[in-house]
Amino acid sequence: MAPLFCGAQSMPARAVACNACHGTNGNSQLKDMPSIAGQPKIFIENQLVLIREGMRDIPQMKGVLENVPDSELTALANYYAGLPVAKPPTNRQINMYTKGETLAKEMRCGICHLPNYVGREQMPRLAGQREDYLLHTMRSMKANQAVGRDSIMIASLYGISDEDLQAISHYLARIAP
Amino acid sequence: MVKNFTQSFKKLSLLVSLSLSALAVNAQAPAAPPPAWKQGMPDSLANSTLAPLAGKLTATKAADVPLNKIKLPPGFKVEVWADSVPGSRAIAQGDNGKYYVGSRPLGRVYEITDNGTTRTSRVVIDKLDQPTVAFRDGSLYVMAVDKVLRFDNIDKNPTVAPIDLTEKFNLPPEKHHNWKYIAFGPDGKLYIPFGAPCNICEPPSAEYAQIRRYNADGSGMEVLARGIRNSVGFDWHPVTKELWFSNHGRDWLGDDTPNDTMNRLKVGGHYGFPSCHQGNLADPDVKRLKPCDGIEQPVALMGPHAATMGVKFYTGNMFPPEYRNVLFNARKGSWNRTKKIGHDVVMVRADADGKNAKVEPFMTGFYSDADQTFWGRPAYLHQMNDGSMLVSDEQMGVIYRVTYSK
Repeated sequence: MAPLFCGAQSMPARAVACNACHGTNGNSQLKDMPSIAGQPKIFIENQLVLIREGMRDIPQMKGVLENVPDSELTALANYYAGLPVAKPPTNRQINMYTKGETLAKEMRCGICHLPNYVGREQMPRLAGQREDYLLHTMRSMKANQAVGRDSIMIASLYGISDEDLQAISHYLARIAP
Repeated sequence: MVKNFTQSFKKLSLLVSLSLSALAVNAQAPAAPPPAWKQGMPDSLANSTLAPLAGKLTATKAADVPLNKIKLPPGFKVEVWADSVPGSRAIAQGDNGKYYVGSRPLGRVYEITDNGTTRTSRVVIDKLDQPTVAFRDGSLYVMAVDKVLRFDNIDKNPTVAPIDLTEKFNLPPEKHHNWKYIAFGPDGKLYIPFGAPCNICEPPSAEYAQIRRYNADGSGMEVLARGIRNSVGFDWHPVTKELWFSNHGRDWLGDDTPNDTMNRLKVGGHYGFPSCHQGNLADPDVKRLKPCDGIEQPVALMGPHAATMGVKFYTGNMFPPEYRNVLFNARKGSWNRTKKIGHDVVMVRADADGKNAKVEPFMTGFYSDADQTFWGRPAYLHQMNDGSMLVSDEQMGVIYRVTYSK
């Protein structure tokens, strides 16, 4: 059980459906399924709107948010933004980890996502996100498929190799937010 | 073209990794060229935390807009003309009090119907990749990054199925900086800019960083000018009929350089991207010998990183005579600068040949200089039949109407 903590928003009824895939209290245990706990509020809100509008085509979420009003999406965003993030995995492959750490610095990921990669406003927390999800998402962006999100990530990943994406994902997934 | 592009990047990446492995065994090997993502990101900015501003995708009601913060010259008034149109950008006027507005992040095209005192709106089409709008002879033209649609006689037939013109326009594949402002010129042609798909780079092919015009059906494409990094606003001078266009300068070159610019279109002209900015500033990343030789000079510098957007020459009778033929320009506001600039509508007063340009404030109050917070981002302008001016606010997702009375 996640610990109770002060200031937490009460759980919106709709969050039960979210937790089925994104994990109890928003920390995902499923492959390719992102953790949403402790993500910035605006980031979650934006993504929920884009998914509702069909701008982000996520097969598992088709129809889930149909006709859900903005106010409920905002409530969900506030709720998950306030939840604590689970401890990251400790199984570091040191070469991958170090390479990923260097790349993330050189690519200036920290300018937007902040130097500790906790994210802010519309930019997601990368620290402690699932490795498989980070890799999946960056591959989509690189392939011009991340429709509906700011195209700046397409530009940021311009010309990067898949090996480098794997290293960055390995590293980011293993740093504590 | 895509294939060649991908291949050249694969080669580049391969070259980089080969060179890196070579470095590992032989420290004397020449340095590898930087990978594409590294262009225009100098080491001096390693610790910067300047980032694009967060947009708001949920609906805002008129009552929640802090209208009293907006400042205008004496005699001008502002009202919220339409609300709950999240992400609203360019506005095109249709028939019988109908207006069309594209929403870039939400992928929607709104139709707003004005009955004089109130407005209603509906979504004409959604799920498009950054759609924008133009209107001519009863037809609504919708252009997304990868699609062109025409809705014929949409006023009489609101549910008309669109005609897909995509193939005829032969759009290039890259998304970044390829949201478009489009408009029909006095020659009846559709003018379309194609931005550079990067902050700063040698574009992957010749299809980018240019302004073109097409016949309305997509035939007869002509490239009018090149070297234009990202133009997202233009209008035709009321007297000379020349096209004047706004252009965004590159990021990560310091707080005060380069400027965004206002320009006159010279057919066949080159505006400098990627190696020369604002007509006189050599780029430190993409170097060429004498990069600014023969480059067209801007009419006015619009402020570094100010995000110069919608352009409209005022030709109405409602504003006082000194506003006639003045260029209005919405500046969405900076992110790549430690102190904010823009977040306003300014006026550019210049001679018809572009000389003696002066930039003056018109509509301000969307940000606080004291604490560097902002609440609004003026994006596009449209002159109504009665001479009032519509201003879209992409942040609030509302459209203001600016009027004048003595």
